Amino acid sequence: MDTLISTLLSGVVLGALYALMASGLSLVWTTLGVFNFAHGALMTIGAFVAWTVSEAVGLGLPAGVVAGVASAALLGVVVEYLLIRPFYGRPNMLLITVMTTLAGMIILEKGAQMIWGARLKQLPRLIDGEVSIFGAVISAHEALIIVVAPLILLALWQFTTRTYLGRSLRAVGQNQDAAALLGINVSFTFALAFGLGAALAGLTGVLLGGIRFITPSLGAEPLVKAMIVVIFGGLGSLGATVGAAFVIGLAEAFLVLTLGLYWTPFALFLGLIAVLIFRPNGLFGRV
Amino acid sequence: MSRFLEVEGMTAGYGAVTVLRNISLYVDHGENVGLFGPNGHGKTTLLRTLSGLMRAAMGKVRFDGQDISRARPWEIVGLGMVQAQQGNTLFGEMEIAETLELAAFNRRAREKAAANLDRIYTLFPRLAERKRQKAKTLSGGERQMLSIGAALMCAPRLLLLDEPTLGLSPRLKEELAEALRAISQDVPLVVVEQDVELLLALSNRLYLIEHGEVQREIGKDNAPDHQEIMDMYFGEHA
Amino acid sequence: MTRASLLFGGLLVLAVIPLFVQDSYTRHLFILAFIYAVIASNWDLSLGYAGLFNFGHLVFFATGVYTVAIAAKTLGISPWLAIPMSGVTAAIAGLIVSAPVARLKGIYVVLVTFAFGQLVLQLILSQSHLTGGAEGMVRIPYLQIGDYKFISDFKLGYYYVALGLLIVSTLYLLWVTNSTFGKSLLAVRDNEDYARARGIWITRQRVLVLTLSAIFPGVAGGFFAAYLRVASPEVLSFGTLSLALSMVLIGGAGTIIGPIIAAFLLIFATEAMAGIRGMEDARFLIVAIGMILVLRFAPGGLAQLVRAPRKKP
Repeated sequence: MDTLISTLLSGVVLGALYALMASGLSLVWTTLGVFNFAHGALMTIGAFVAWTVSEAVGLGLPAGVVAGVASAALLGVVVEYLLIRPFYGRPNMLLITVMTTLAGMIILEKGAQMIWGARLKQLPRLIDGEVSIFGAVISAHEALIIVVAPLILLALWQFTTRTYLGRSLRAVGQNQDAAALLGINVSFTFALAFGLGAALAGLTGVLLGGIRFITPSLGAEPLVKAMIVVIFGGLGSLGATVGAAFVIGLAEAFLVLTLGLYWTPFALFLGLIAVLIFRPNGLFGRV
Repeated sequence: MSRFLEVEGMTAGYGAVTVLRNISLYVDHGENVGLFGPNGHGKTTLLRTLSGLMRAAMGKVRFDGQDISRARPWEIVGLGMVQAQQGNTLFGEMEIAETLELAAFNRRAREKAAANLDRIYTLFPRLAERKRQKAKTLSGGERQMLSIGAALMCAPRLLLLDEPTLGLSPRLKEELAEALRAISQDVPLVVVEQDVELLLALSNRLYLIEHGEVQREIGKDNAPDHQEIMDMYFGEHA
Repeated sequence: MTRASLLFGGLLVLAVIPLFVQDSYTRHLFILAFIYAVIASNWDLSLGYAGLFNFGHLVFFATGVYTVAIAAKTLGISPWLAIPMSGVTAAIAGLIVSAPVARLKGIYVVLVTFAFGQLVLQLILSQSHLTGGAEGMVRIPYLQIGDYKFISDFKLGYYYVALGLLIVSTLYLLWVTNSTFGKSLLAVRDNEDYARARGIWITRQRVLVLTLSAIFPGVAGGFFAAYLRVASPEVLSFGTLSLALSMVLIGGAGTIIGPIIAAFLLIFATEAMAGIRGMEDARFLIVAIGMILVLRFAPGGLAQLVRAPRKKP
């Protein structure tokens, strides 16, 4: 029983992290039709900056968290400006931006390695101590992730459905010309989507930095997981992405329990192939 | 006093294809202007260029005394020139009410948002009945109403309408025409329309656009008869 | 066929280069360039020529590397036999990837093939009893005939085997692209709906193109393992991926010869940078920046710059 609950809990923690990560990807995709391969690297930068501000400079963890998220957001806007904007309107923009963001990922990752070096770093946990839930014990930091991630996602959902700015993101994603004719500044919206997506990546990095060691390739594995999530859920909507994130997180936790750490990635991929063969637009995607 | 909208020697097109050649026309304060001519001769391109979706290769556009030749679409909407596109589905996944609320995006429009929304629901009761419906579930006529409604939410000082009644059933067309006549009473219009009756009812002055050029200007003093205009529509006069 | 004459003129030059270049380091760079040219040009067959935006080609290469590593070292099979085997295993890998990819469109092709590469990497890392894990495998049997080791005479043997591999691979690519099948690939790339209407079976075509373009990268991987005598998961890193991808893009996708030329340019350029202190990490960064600049200012790749602009399809 204890194993079951603790597996469930670790699945939810994973799901929450994947949901934060993947919703940023999904936000950029639905607004611009761009898949941002640099997303994982932005997450890494967020974690490193948080570490520098909090540990190296010594301004404390809260300042580090803010700096990490803010710097990721800022870099996201820069990525949009340098790697996406010059290619708007090109006939094969989707594929060109795959390549430019991939190049952006290399630049950020190698840049991080040159700035921070390859030595392992770790952020302190946001909260110390442990929490017991139905007899299973997890760290308070992980409990915080379980609470914070849904709140952030809820806020994001409210933002995109209730506010002018948030709605303009959706409008631009659905019909750029029509949005422009209603007075929406389309290029600003693109930068906003990228900045927000990157901020979510930065936040994931800060949260993950308290659990794992921060290395220049910290973002690589979560990026792949987020990709699996968006393939699984379809890239279309935030709800499907979040749902898929928790499905994948829980599946991963239970696969680790039953098949072990070694075979889990492979089993996930096989499951993914099966889903794609029968539903090419993702499990929750509209056909 | 300068003209409300003035286009001078505009040339525009897509890449190597020139669609508009040396177009000059104007709209004075207090008048509605109609554009007509055969399909595929540049009327839609003209409106797209005016709205800033396309950039003119040559020529100048002035709106309310300001040069907007190189302005971006959102700046032009901010100044008050707003276009309702033809057959536009707007945002398929958005509800009607949401779309209309969003459309009051610029600061000027936000102040008048509540009043404008009431007015649109009065003009188009069909939209009021379907507030919570997604745009993609609407019929062609309802989409047209939503498109015009959204444009009105931008608080236009000059409204550009591109074939508002294209492809509608007679009943819906009459419904829409009535609303358009009401709108034309208090918002100046530049309207592209194939229905001659409606075009004449809505506008004080007409331009015949053919082969991407202004072929003829028709005012009150040189108004040809109905049949002549019909002939021009189908390009038989030249 | 001016393209073919240019190509074989170049190959002739490469064939006599060992007469003038005697040091083993420069020859090593040529061998690397030959290997990367095989990967990039075969990748181009699916990416540029068929318009199928897959990221699977390093996986095919890695499949070849580990096939030879395991077959020759663990199972004791002669590398001369193991290297052709790696073409077969890579083709099988291509077949496996094509199963989900054949029905997908646009971004999903990118995502699935990219994720596939990452998961193969995970598999290599986790199955360390078979693959050596993160450390990889070392002391893989090398190529020799009788007592003659191919590494001797400043790598002369390896040079010619690699060059031969590039020649055979390029002939193969020219044959495929000039065949009816190759022309049907272009038809689908340029107008999928029309091609579908003309009765081209796209699913079958995608399976074929992925499998056909997997063979030589696999063989190149097998050769690579026997040449360097190591197999490491490094072959699946983002750095290697971006290097090979930038060869296709900088050279010019859909040209076959462009990526081959770019492979030479980039191998020599990055190695030159690696020789400068402090540039070891920066070189991939610089390649990435170069890739962006080419996409921005010469979208057709360098191949586009040297020949008359082709009409847009």
